[in-house]
Parts: sequence; structure tokens; C-alpha cells
Amino acid sequence: MLRLSWSTFRERWQLFIGATLTVCLGVALVQSSLLILVSAAVGGYVEAIALLGITLGISAFLAVFIVSSTFAFTVAQRRRDLALLRLTGAARGQVRRLLLSEATLLGLLGTALGVPLGLLVMRAQSWLLRDLGFVPAEFAPRWQGWILAVSAGIGLGVAVSGVLAASRRAAKVRPLEALRDTGEAARVMTGLRWFFGILFLAGSVSLVIVSSFAGPEGAIPLAVNAALTAAVALSALSPLVVPLIGRVFGVALRGSTLGGLAQANLWDGVRRSASTAAPLIVLVALLLGQSGTLLSIGEAGQVEQRRDLRGDLVVTAQGQTGAASVPGVDVAAPQLRLPVRTTTTTYEGDGEYETEADNVDALVVDPAAYARTHRAEPVAGSLTRLRGNTVAVTADSGFPLGTTVDARIGDRDVPLRVVAVLPMTFAGGSMLLPVDAVPAAVAARAPSETIVRLAPGADAGAVRGALGEFGEVRTLEEWIDQSASRQQQVSTGIMTVILGLAGLYALIAVVNAVVIAAAERRREFAVARMSGLTRGQVVRLALLESWAVAAIGLVLGGLAGAGTWVGIGAATERIAGQSTIVVPWTLLGVVVAGALLVVGATSVWTAWSATRARPVSLAGAAE
Amino acid sequence: MTAPLSTELGRRAGGGPAAVELRDVSRHYGTKHDLVRALDGVSVAFAEGSWTAVMGPSGSGKSTLLHCAAGLERVSGGQVLLTGDDITAADDAALTRLRRSRIGFVFQSFNLIGSLTAEQNVALPLKLAGQRVPARQVRQVLASVGLDERRRHRPRELSGGQQQRVAIARAMVTRPSVLFADEPTGALDSASARQVLRLLREMVDRAGQTIVMVTHDPAAAASADSVMFLSDGRIVDHAAAPTAAEVAERLARLEA
Repeated sequence: MLRLSWSTFRERWQLFIGATLTVCLGVALVQSSLLILVSAAVGGYVEAIALLGITLGISAFLAVFIVSSTFAFTVAQRRRDLALLRLTGAARGQVRRLLLSEATLLGLLGTALGVPLGLLVMRAQSWLLRDLGFVPAEFAPRWQGWILAVSAGIGLGVAVSGVLAASRRAAKVRPLEALRDTGEAARVMTGLRWFFGILFLAGSVSLVIVSSFAGPEGAIPLAVNAALTAAVALSALSPLVVPLIGRVFGVALRGSTLGGLAQANLWDGVRRSASTAAPLIVLVALLLGQSGTLLSIGEAGQVEQRRDLRGDLVVTAQGQTGAASVPGVDVAAPQLRLPVRTTTTTYEGDGEYETEADNVDALVVDPAAYARTHRAEPVAGSLTRLRGNTVAVTADSGFPLGTTVDARIGDRDVPLRVVAVLPMTFAGGSMLLPVDAVPAAVAARAPSETIVRLAPGADAGAVRGALGEFGEVRTLEEWIDQSASRQQQVSTGIMTVILGLAGLYALIAVVNAVVIAAAERRREFAVARMSGLTRGQVVRLALLESWAVAAIGLVLGGLAGAGTWVGIGAATERIAGQSTIVVPWTLLGVVVAGALLVVGATSVWTAWSATRARPVSLAGAAE
Repeated sequence: MTAPLSTELGRRAGGGPAAVELRDVSRHYGTKHDLVRALDGVSVAFAEGSWTAVMGPSGSGKSTLLHCAAGLERVSGGQVLLTGDDITAADDAALTRLRRSRIGFVFQSFNLIGSLTAEQNVALPLKLAGQRVPARQVRQVLASVGLDERRRHRPRELSGGQQQRVAIARAMVTRPSVLFADEPTGALDSASARQVLRLLREMVDRAGQTIVMVTHDPAAAASADSVMFLSDGRIVDHAAAPTAAEVAERLARLEA
């Protein structure tokens, strides 16, 4: 049986190289994310840990999704071969064993290649993290011996589980199918597809609902999960959509022979189209879902600040400024940015305590001036009691009114009593400390913004000039815009870390699927040429079809991504009082153009090389 | 035309059960309102050691008859017996066992596995059956189709006629009681076709092989012991040892 696997391997290398590649990249990506995550956790880089957690999740998901869809596709492509085996006397179990042993072989091969590749990926990923400032420059992830076992488990696991369902279906291939020219099974919408399609659709709808209740912290992972589940659902249901898109193409290209042929081919190759579209659906859903969420949160923060802040000018400086004493200044509210490490200790029972540390960016404020420049009222407690070792927290911090937060400010441990709870916010700043809780030396070094309100009738120009001696002066509007663009840089950084390599993986999977699909169509292309199509027309036909498939991926992926925006729209409405959905048009444009370009170029290249031989030599060959 | 509904073909050796027997077999496709009767109450027995050609116009049900007789397709009504055993309701495992031991197939499009050499293709049915494969046996079978020299070649390195002979060797390696052949000469030039037919003739004459062969080609049909004519899913005529010209003439009458 293994001998047969091996000889099939040599015969259909495109299928197997493609499948091995997906395993290899998946293993590399998961291994790298996991190693970096472990190192980041040891180093206690909280921001990086959260990011890497999501990255790891997406990598693992993509590995499972892409490998299983590729393997299922390769099995479907070989239906005729398998029927032939059945005709020659293979039992169902033997067909399954053949496919499973192949999957094991490919899984091992993919792992063997994936582990060293993972080290390269790890280098790239940690460079990215350092470059974007999520970890310090000296951060270097460490190799762990046990990762080999994990990687092998992932490589073998995804390969075998990917082929499990497909092999069961393949074992039901009837021997008679070997005698028919078209090996494709008529029924593509299997019960399993319906089941997973509906299950995941329900899952993603509930995630969207949950994300509408989430705070800014939870919104990103929830949106990512919603986008992923929606992508799975729509990939499973995509055979339903293929004919629909085919019809649109048919109408768009009415009258053209190639258009009609492309439509007919789409119709005929529903499984092929669906398989090619699957990785694209995930890629587009992830990109749009995540960037839409990040942009919307950023925009909501801006909306919030515009509504909440009452002031005219903002001075950016270090430590406290003498802005209050400048003539024409009514109120000057300084806020100092100060990193604070909080520890939470919870009693686990049996004399065991669990301690959790968290780094937060606290704002050190003058409570009276703060109240006069901010409209938001505490939901509990009062800012007037913010004196001495006290703190005001936001509602999603997990510290109720009256409890004590153990904080480390500078090099001093300070217990801070919660005296006020502020409403949840997208703009950030989860903790307010009074000036007298912080040692003067620490405060003097902290970067600060001072929000200034002018006295009635004051000369704005003169005051602005006078404030210039303390630091950089901007109007409130300018300052909000600037902090928004800084926020956006952070968002782009987050996107790059989470989706950079994972996106690349999905993109390679798209190319892979196009190549696999074309490799199986040599004979069909040859027949088309014998019936009068020129080589150029065949290539154009392949291009048209692949664009139709790309369109399917884009539409469904866009749908899945946009679905997640519903949740974020509801969340921003609840927290910021105004539903904010930012559609990432630029990214959308880039994705559409990029997908058409990549898929188009791949299909032109594969169709061109598949039509290199004279048609007669291929159309005549039975195999 | 007087169409005999039940037909017995070929010599009966010693009155044992026929190699294959169809009893009132029907095969319908489609829905109730749009019913296609591919086979409509066909009864026929193929005697052991006989070579029968099945002919008829396109769509007459030739291939369906072959598929039903070989257990590749389920019948809608009637019974199929293989050396007296009813295989009508056999499950997949039982049919798999039949394909391994008692039924051999040869097709127009050869259906060899492209990645395996001639030798490996021939050995495949035995391997799938979990048997030890003596190299000598495989070589013997390949030699009997005149391809011992080319045993290490892959299908694409062989001519059509050679590929078909490998396919015959593969079908014969399990010593099946019946060989089903679907247009075995359909894709071959006339010289290769003659060679293949000569090979089949030898198998019948020397080893008493039973062959049921669907064909379009009157010359191929004339090599068989007898010819059975189908039209619209029914047996409409049969002829014992006709010449090619007689076969062509009867076929032309059917197609008219």
C-alpha cells in the first residue's frame, strides 16, 4: 500500500507538493508563534502576550483549515484513480488506509520541513515585534526541546484529521465512476458541509452578539473569532454560492463564447471553485474583520474624546507645567502618563494564593482641574475624594469601589483605594491617580499633556505664545487628530503582527489551490484546444474562471468580515453613545486588486504551462 | 421480428450452472415521470467457456447490461447469478471479494494506473487481496500476453495495444471465472485490435475462459462464439458464430 502511495506521490507531485507545503507552513507558523509566546510570557511582556495569543490562535486555525481543505481537495481530485482501485479489487478500508497513510507521509514530510522553516519564521516574527516596539530590543525567543513534539503533533495531526472526513467520503466512491470520464461527484453540498456551515454560522452570529457587549479590550479577539467562524461557515456553504456568481458572470459576459464557457465550467467544477475560494475567504474575512474593528475602535475613541474633553489648547511636555499661572488661562489640567504595575491576589482555597501582575498606563491628574476639563461623570464614587493613596478606575478594570489596588509606582509599593469608577472608554487611560500619590521625582520625568481652557475674552494667540515656553502647544482638535493617528499606527502594528505571516500563509494557500486545480485540467484544456480554441483563448478562459472564483472568495470573505462590524457598531454605540463603523476602503481596494492579481497571474501561468504540450498527445492519453 | 425474451448462449458444458445468468433484469434511471428503461426485463445465461459479444445501437443498454452482470450497478428488478450464486443483493464487501477473485474487467480506455509499471499493475489485484505475489506468476501472465520484455515500463511508455494487453493480464492474474470486456478494441488500431482479439480467442479455446464483451465493431463481434443484439433495453436477436458481414447487416437493420 505504501508502495502505491509512493508511486502516486511521484505521479501527482503538484497535488502532494501543494499539500506538503500547506503542512510545512502551518507547522512553521504555529511553532514560531508558540515559541515566541512562551518567551514573551517568561519575560512578562503583557502587550506582546495578548497579541501573540491571538496570532497563535489564528496560525493554528489556519493550519487546520488550510491543510484540511487542501487535503480534501486533493482527494476529490483523485476520485477517478480511487474508483479504479476499487474496480481492481480494493476494499473501502483499503482506500481509506491508502489515503491515511499518504496523509501520514505528507504530515511527516511537512513537519520535517516545517521545523527548520519555523526557526526562520521565528526570526522574522520577533524582528517584527521588536521593530514595532511590542518587545524590547534585546528580546530573543528561546528554543524549547519539547516544541519538536508539538510541531510533529501539529503536522501529523492536521494532515491526518484533514484527510479523515475526505477519506471516508472517498471510500464510498463507486467503482463504476472509473469508467466515466468526469470523476467529479455530482453532490458537492454534502450533509457534513450543511452541518458545519450552519453550526459555524450560528457560532459567528453569537460571537457578533457577544462582541457588541464587549469592552474595547475584548472586542478585537472577539471580532477575529467571529470573522474566522463566519469564514468557515461560508466556505462550507460556498458551493451554494458558486452557481450564483457564475450566473452573474454569465450576464456580465453575455454574448461572449469564452464567457459562456467559463460559466459552464464554473457550474461543472463547483468543488474546484469552492476549494480554491476557501483560503481566500478566510484571508479576506480576517483582514477586513480585524482592520474594520481596529479602525472603528480608534474612531470611537476619537468621537469620545471630542465629546468628553472641554478645552482649547493642549500642551505636551514633561512633568507638571506652570500653565495655570499664564494670564488668560482659566483651567490647566495636567495629566502625566505613568506606567504602573498592579498585582491582584486572589485566594484559591487550601491556603493557595494566585497572584497576577499587570502593567497599566495610569494618568496622574489634578482631580479638580480634571473634572473641569472632562464631561464624563463617575458611575460610582466621586473624583473629589481622589486624594492621597487613592485611584479612580474604569468600569471594566475589575476593581469595585472601595477595594484596594496593589500598585508599584516607580520603586515604591503603594496600596491604592478605589474611590471612583469611571465609565468604560475606547480612548484608553484605565486608571487615574492624584498628584500626591506619586513621588515628585517620578512625576517630573513623566511625559504629560496639559489641557488648557481659556478664560472668556482671552487672546488665544497670546496665550498660545506664552504657553510655548513649557512645551509644544496644539489646539485640542489638532491634538485629538494627532493622538488618533498615533493610535492608528499602533493598530497597524497590531495588524501586522497578527496577520502579517498568517496572511502570507493564506495567500500561498490560494496560489496553491489554483495550481492544484490547473494541474488536473491538462486534458480538459487539451480537449478545448482540439475543439478549436487557441492557446491564448484557453489561457483567457482559465483567467476568467479564476477571477470568478476570486470574486466568490472576495464576496464571501467580505461578507464574513463585514458581519463582525455589526458587533463593533453596537459596542461603540453602547460605550461611546454613537455607532461608529469605519470601513477600511483602502485595504479593501488593495485586497480586491491583490487577490485578482495574484489569482489571475497564477492561473495564467499554470494554464500556459499546462497547455505547453501539443493537445493531441494529452487528449489521446487515457490517464 | 420475433424477439426471444430468454436466451441461452454458447455451449453448455456438463449442464452446470451458467457462468453468469441474468433473470428478468431491469434497470431504470430517472424519476417516475421521466423514466429511462436502460434494461427492460432481460433474461440471458452466459455458459461457461463461452465468448459472447453484446451488440446494439448507442443507448440500447449494452453497457448497462455489462455493468449489471458484473455487479457494478444495482439492478432495479430481477436477479443476477454468478456461477449459480445470487449477487443481486450482495453488499460492498462481498462485491469487492468478487472483483478480487471471480470477475475481471477490461475497458476501452485501458484504465491502468499510470504511476505503476506494467508488472505492478498486473500484481495489484493480488496485492489488494492481501495475497503474496509470486513474481513468477506475474511474469507468466505478462508473457502470455506477449509483454514479458516490457514489464518494467509504465503505461505511458506503451502503445495502446500493449496497454490493453497489460490490462488483460491484470484482469487474468486472479483467474476470474468471467472476464467482462467493454469495447476492448475501441481505442486500438486494426492491427492491435486483431492481436487483442486473437489473445481473447486463445484464452477461451485453451483455458475455457468465459468472456462477455460489449462492442460496436462487427469484426470484433465476429471473433466471439455468438452475438447477442440489444435494442431499447431488450434482447432482440442473436446469432451463433456469424461472420463480420452478417453482424454488420443485422446491426444496420436494428439501427434503421
